[in-house]
Amino acid sequence: MSSFERRLSDGTRIEDLIDVDTREVRVRTLADAELHQIEMERIFGKVWQLLGHESEIPNPNDFMIRALGEDSVLVARDRDGEIHVTLNVCPHRAMRVCRSDAGNAPTHRCPYHGWAFRPDGAFIGSPVGGETMHGKLLDKKQLSLKKARVTLYGGLIFATWNIDGPSLDEFLGEMKWYFDMLFDRTDKGLEALGPPQRFVLRANWKSASEQSASDGFHAYTLHEWLGQLAGFGSGDLTSSMLGVEVTSKLGHSLRCMPMAQKFERGAALKDTSLSLAERLEILAPPGIIPSMAPELERHLSTEQIEQLLLQPPQVGNIFPNLIIEHVYVPQPGGKPLGLFAVHTYMPRGVDKMEFVNWLLAEKDTPQEMKDAMRKMGVRMLGTSGMIEQDDSDPWLDQAVLAKGAQARNITLKYQAIHNPERPSWWVGPAEVYEGFTKDDTQWNWWLQWRDLMLNAG
Amino acid sequence: MTASATVTIAGFDNPVAIGSPVYNEVQTFLFKEAALLDQIRLNDWVGLLAEDILYTAPLRQTRPTHEFDKTIVRTMFHFEEDIGSLKLRVARLMNTRSAYAEDPPSRCRRLITNLLVSGTANPDEFEVSSYILMTRSRYDADQFDLMSAERRDLVRRVDGSFKLARREIILDQSALGMPNLGVFL
Repeated sequence: MSSFERRLSDGTRIEDLIDVDTREVRVRTLADAELHQIEMERIFGKVWQLLGHESEIPNPNDFMIRALGEDSVLVARDRDGEIHVTLNVCPHRAMRVCRSDAGNAPTHRCPYHGWAFRPDGAFIGSPVGGETMHGKLLDKKQLSLKKARVTLYGGLIFATWNIDGPSLDEFLGEMKWYFDMLFDRTDKGLEALGPPQRFVLRANWKSASEQSASDGFHAYTLHEWLGQLAGFGSGDLTSSMLGVEVTSKLGHSLRCMPMAQKFERGAALKDTSLSLAERLEILAPPGIIPSMAPELERHLSTEQIEQLLLQPPQVGNIFPNLIIEHVYVPQPGGKPLGLFAVHTYMPRGVDKMEFVNWLLAEKDTPQEMKDAMRKMGVRMLGTSGMIEQDDSDPWLDQAVLAKGAQARNITLKYQAIHNPERPSWWVGPAEVYEGFTKDDTQWNWWLQWRDLMLNAG
Repeated sequence: MTASATVTIAGFDNPVAIGSPVYNEVQTFLFKEAALLDQIRLNDWVGLLAEDILYTAPLRQTRPTHEFDKTIVRTMFHFEEDIGSLKLRVARLMNTRSAYAEDPPSRCRRLITNLLVSGTANPDEFEVSSYILMTRSRYDADQFDLMSAERRDLVRRVDGSFKLARREIILDQSALGMPNLGVFL
């Protein structure tokens, strides 16, 4: 039996929260505490989660504390350089072992009774050796910090509690072909421009996450000011609605808009008689400079490079709670300024979430460009971001409104459906939809949510 | 000299006496500035800013006491602004009808206290430290959002009044308890 018959305490079956035929989701899904507990086990206990970038902990014994779902974890580099993720909860009496947000330490000693652990979580011992205060009932190996499974991707640190589950590559599936264009394209790779911004909103993590699954349509209204003041779309955001949306049943997605449509100078990119470096001189992806052309050629296929130049991914998501922003911000000079960010939306209970915002660039991006990207990132995204403060406004409303006895039983609707015909000229994999943005990417996000929630295994 | 008289606050080696005319002028400037922000007279507020202003809010991190200097992280920011970006923020709020996160606006009170003023090598410029507690109420929420911080300012005397030439906002939270900083501190 693949479908799990668990019912919520009012008798509702989880599968009845989503009407697959009419593409509707019950609003109560955004505010149901019971459902939240199930999500913590079936989604956050299973999926790969982004915790940071290895450039945040460059040296042996560097560490940082992050949230993995609602659990505190220690992300630490051991003396051999390997990165480990362990539960930051002492196996003795559940005290927080490490209480500094970041630092460098060869051992982590719990302040409660002094049990000590290595950066990889291995239990060293308890104080006053001769007394063996940790007892002899359990082997020392059994007293280590609980270990998560770790995979680095473009230096991004992903972890999961699902030790025997799919690899990160399998988890990303066909969409990895596109993600590689963003995360794995230069020799030295990415770096985080600093620690992440962190702030807490009274909103359900799914409000942020389903919007991030390439909801293109919201920009037309919610970000209207971008057309009026910031030079996006020459005053009309309709052109930003047009493009190609790629997505898969694993719940990931990307929106790819043609550069020729967004920027006057973008048309010149099509001139394939130019060298790659010359084309990058016209208009390059965020953080990329023309001298990186040979590196792009080493890391990406010709098809990937063509797409990255002409119709790059600009926003998208990795299921369940990660948004990617690879944005070209119009500048008075004509050449856009790149902006590259990833955020996670970590749940803090059913009605709160932490917004974690990393700004990225290539390690070899010139410092002056990194500074410009950081400033633009701070101004447009995250805490004070002129774009994203408006993005989160509906999430706050949804968290309040979804509790209403009437509102909880109405539905969210995902009924704007793309023409299923795949554009013949498109070479990349996965589901591909062309035209004015529709709801298919977000619908795939909900289908994946549904699959995991129904799967007890 | 008593011990307390010899204690100095970093950057305040040349203190302006509390209650002195200069101190009162600076205090009046900051109180008026807070009133303009609270009343959402943001175009008037921009008039108080120097063209070379740097307006930043570095991140904060939890660190042990012996690493307290590392609690202020100046490699990443919640605000990193210059006059151009501050004007864009104000234009967005005042001249469009789509700055939804602050339209309808929240109702804020900026309580400014603990003012310390110090002279600098430039007789027209003063270093100012103040504490801010901002209460923020939006819609009909029964709880306030609160933000507390120290502000380290440089104010410059220009044509008989002051301009704000630098502001560094030292926030007290490592993870901010506010949905956004769509308001100025």
